[in-house]
Amino acid sequence: MSDNPRARIFARVEQASGTADTDVIARELAALGTAPGADLPAQDLATAFLANVLKNFGSADCVANRSGVVKAVAEYLYLHFRSHRLVAGNDPHLAAMPWREAGVLPRFGTVEPGEPVTLSYALLGVAEIGATVTLTGKANPAANNLLSEHHIVVVDSARLVSDMEHAWEAINQEMTRTGRPRGINFIAGPSSTADIEGKLVYGAHGPRNWHVILMGDVPASALEEAHALAGR
Amino acid sequence: MKQTSDTFLDNAHAALQDPDKIQRRDIMALFTPIIRDAAMNSFGHFEELRQHVKQVKQHTLTHLDHYLARFEQQALHNGNHVHFADDGDQMNSIVLDICQQHSARRIAKGKSMVTEETGLNDFLKRAGLRVMETDLGEYIIQQAGETPSHIVGPALHKSAAEIRELFLAKHDLGERDLAETADMVGEARRVLREHFLKAEVGIIGANALIAENGYSMLVTNEGNGDLCANLPNVLIVCTTLDRVLPRASDATAMLRLLVRSATGQPQTCYTSFYSGPRREPDTDGPLETHIVLLDNRRTEILASDYREMLQCIRCGACLNHCPIYAGVGGHAYGWVYPGPMGSILTPLLTSLEQSKALPNACTSCGRCGEVCPADIPLPELLRNLRHDETRQKLSPPRWRLGLRLHAWVARHPMLYHTLTGLGIFAMYLLGRRKGGFARLPMAAGWTSQRDFPAPQGRTFMHQYAALQRENEARAHKGRLAAQQTAAQGTPAPQPSGPDRVAPDRPETGGDTSGRAAPGRGKPRRGKPGRARPGRARPGRSESGRPGPGRIEPSLGEGWQDDER
Ligand code: SF4
Repeated sequence: MSDNPRARIFARVEQASGTADTDVIARELAALGTAPGADLPAQDLATAFLANVLKNFGSADCVANRSGVVKAVAEYLYLHFRSHRLVAGNDPHLAAMPWREAGVLPRFGTVEPGEPVTLSYALLGVAEIGATVTLTGKANPAANNLLSEHHIVVVDSARLVSDMEHAWEAINQEMTRTGRPRGINFIAGPSSTADIEGKLVYGAHGPRNWHVILMGDVPASALEEAHALAGR
Repeated sequence: MKQTSDTFLDNAHAALQDPDKIQRRDIMALFTPIIRDAAMNSFGHFEELRQHVKQVKQHTLTHLDHYLARFEQQALHNGNHVHFADDGDQMNSIVLDICQQHSARRIAKGKSMVTEETGLNDFLKRAGLRVMETDLGEYIIQQAGETPSHIVGPALHKSAAEIRELFLAKHDLGERDLAETADMVGEARRVLREHFLKAEVGIIGANALIAENGYSMLVTNEGNGDLCANLPNVLIVCTTLDRVLPRASDATAMLRLLVRSATGQPQTCYTSFYSGPRREPDTDGPLETHIVLLDNRRTEILASDYREMLQCIRCGACLNHCPIYAGVGGHAYGWVYPGPMGSILTPLLTSLEQSKALPNACTSCGRCGEVCPADIPLPELLRNLRHDETRQKLSPPRWRLGLRLHAWVARHPMLYHTLTGLGIFAMYLLGRRKGGFARLPMAAGWTSQRDFPAPQGRTFMHQYAALQRENEARAHKGRLAAQQTAAQGTPAPQPSGPDRVAPDRPETGGDTSGRAAPGRGKPRRGKPGRARPGRARPGRSESGRPGPGRIEPSLGEGWQDDER
């Protein structure tokens, strides 16, 4: 036997696996079809997404356009901190927002310890699981997802997908365009733990609050309906 | 981790001495299945999804050579260093080497059962490194010097009061009362945040490895694993080869089962996919990443009749649904993996000889197999291990002799029925006055805890045959009456067919030997009461109300009185 663990392990695996052509394996896999996903809580994608965000104990807001985003962020900051400061990644979508309109002062870059609010721009929103998807990189440093107390995520309603299979289609498309990012983060709620006697507590290590702003053409009643569906 | 599975019975006995812990386990055993069921019911396609994921997993294992090679190739392409380890010692050495190459002193570690398996923490500590577990549950037990009692909730055996005391003793933070759970979580967050920011190496596990693109999936609620994966300059992913799945969408399909089975959530807070070190314009993330793939006898399992065990997604549902796990807790199993999955994995990953009690820690209730999202036939695998024990002569000679005897008698039905009939009748005669036995030869395990209810005179098979005969006679009588009345031109009364139970007679049930089901016996507290074996009164339930037309247990009147 080889003295190289890799060779030994592969030899053992090969002995136990069936040998087949790559094409045959690919065909076999394709023949297995796709997995069933969870049913959406509403027919309208935006309503379903918002309902699941709320069920995941996030908070949510709906706005029509970029000015709406800026205003919603300003209100959120004022409500929680009486301040206008936040940290955002170097995402061109965020840089192009009319921040002055609402007097918000973003610092573009990576969050430093002690800075309480970060803002991200999501690649996607996934209705099935009420999650935002961000890719790590200059536009969205991973620390911005994790080190603040409040994490605000903007999602374009045109970038909503129904389920995880569609999310991967969109992510794979993005990867073909820009290469593989170091990290792909599905976030579905504020950081939480139930490790002490099974009691749920928020703010275990990451943000205590996760706030989603859905931007774009969304039915006027979407948010209200989502609250009713989520029961909160 | 030092293995103590060979003293399972003593461990279990010790675990049954602490009423506080027993109560906590009872609550968990009640509560965790409820939240899992609620999540699965609201999902609605459990069986379809579990079959799909199982097929994908079996396909992957059948072609593991292909998918493992593909994963390795893609992971290398993403800029990782990929290492292979035959066993735990090799994995530990690889990790230590990487830490030493970077002169690392502080390690931030995410939750990983694989590194529990290899004893990585102790190994690194002995080399002078400061390893901090960052999952809250793992952090708590690390501070307490304990091992996980559950693969998902490692510290669920500890009370809030114990954790409060622990934090007050371990964190030098002055006067404070930590009254609420949130206060304790907040304190751990502060202490660990500092460690995260200073750690030079992060170590995490992986919930899946994706062959098509070389990413690894990490699933957490706390976000601690993500901090480990993103803040330190070096990242090491410690995992095993059976985590490989073909596509990213297979990993998220499996995730649908994992979260609902593990915590009853529809989705975890953080589901992350990491490919390798930071890219050119990135402003954060590790500069160097390693993936260590451990075998530790998994290739042996792959080649064995226990291959299905490699489908396990480590959700913990089988633990939550196991009456033995609920009774004795995770530590009694004496190694890393407890409950039904542990009773199979421990013998396979260590040795059957060292852990021969574990496959017997089973009531054959079948709940684990029902809920397992990977559709692993756990009860069957446990039984096969017991069979292996017998074949390898690992079980006590007394048991083997008993089994051989039983097998021989069971192959001779006439003899079997005669012997059980005699035995049951003898027990009926001896026990009818008191209704039960406080002591029985060869059944001390039962009678030390509760009385053994006396059988009511005849075996189930006898009673069943009698019932059949009676029903046939009744049907025959009915037919005769019908013929007569047809001849006279009036409608006949409806006979009870052989498959209908007549409402005006005592009904019988029970297993073939006439024994009561486990748990039915009366716990030994005071006298057995007015128990009196014998027939139920025809047409009356024990409370004196007219008997309903359903099958009643055949435990004799006194027992039924006491049960109600
Ligand atoms: S054996 Fe099945 S139920 Fe048990 S942990 Fe593994 S996947 Fe979950």
